[in-house]
Amino acid sequence: MSLEESSKVTRMIILGPAANISQPELIRKLHMMELPLTIKSTCYGAVVNGEESVVNKAVEQARNLDYCNIFTKDRGFPPGDPRRCRAKRGGAREGFHQLEKEFELLGFVSEALEHPKKVSLKKPTKISVDTFKEIAKECEK
Amino acid sequence: MKIAIFPPNSLILADLVERRGHEALVLQKEIRKRVTDVEIDSPPLNITAEEPIKGLKYAAIEVPSGVRGRMAIFGPLIDAAEAAIIMEDAPFGFGCIGCARTNELSMFCLRKRGIPLLELHYPTTREETMEVVNKINTFLDGLNKEGESNG
Repeated sequence: MSLEESSKVTRMIILGPAANISQPELIRKLHMMELPLTIKSTCYGAVVNGEESVVNKAVEQARNLDYCNIFTKDRGFPPGDPRRCRAKRGGAREGFHQLEKEFELLGFVSEALEHPKKVSLKKPTKISVDTFKEIAKECEK
Repeated sequence: MKIAIFPPNSLILADLVERRGHEALVLQKEIRKRVTDVEIDSPPLNITAEEPIKGLKYAAIEVPSGVRGRMAIFGPLIDAAEAAIIMEDAPFGFGCIGCARTNELSMFCLRKRGIPLLELHYPTTREETMEVVNKINTFLDGLNKEGESNG
């Protein structure tokens, strides 16, 4: 691993199930940005690798293509790394099963992002014994 | 703000935190330091003999080295956190956090820090997911307001 490579970051761009953009379209748009990036086409979207500021710019622009349906996350290993790449090892890449599991919920997450609601973070508290007695008495009547 | 998330490799949590302009302290960033470090050249290992020693800061010597090794990675994230979101009951073996004792210790360390904390359960249905997303967004917006009022 060279010094140049060690300063680079990798991010996964994942298309939600209700995304208005297809995976090949996403790859094309990423290439059209003309940024100095390594772009890998994947079944869930894309993996981009490059300098942090460039990757962040690409991710931001990609997210704007469909704000509520495009998700991103960091990835430790660079794309095609022989320690993780499916082509070299066979079987699913580590982390793929987790992605698969979380993908099941992404549709609902997009829905929640599109229609935000106000919720309270306060936990429901227990009522006092006196109040409970009053309620019990009222029910007896 | 730097927000610690648990599970520390969760896509949903990391994505929601970043959408609100915060920095998610994710496991992948720590792993990246190790796997792309020019000094570590022993694939597929990304943990060296140093890690269980570093983990002694978080767990006692009699704790299994696997827990200490993991804590050497999770620990710096917990230390750097200014707020935290914990999602309990994530599916078993959620990515690389399949060690239940490390998970317990990490959650304990996060709770002990005394930072703003949001505790949730891993959603399984549509209603639960929508509530979890709304709660996370409300929590993160609250942190923004808190940050602004503190200057």
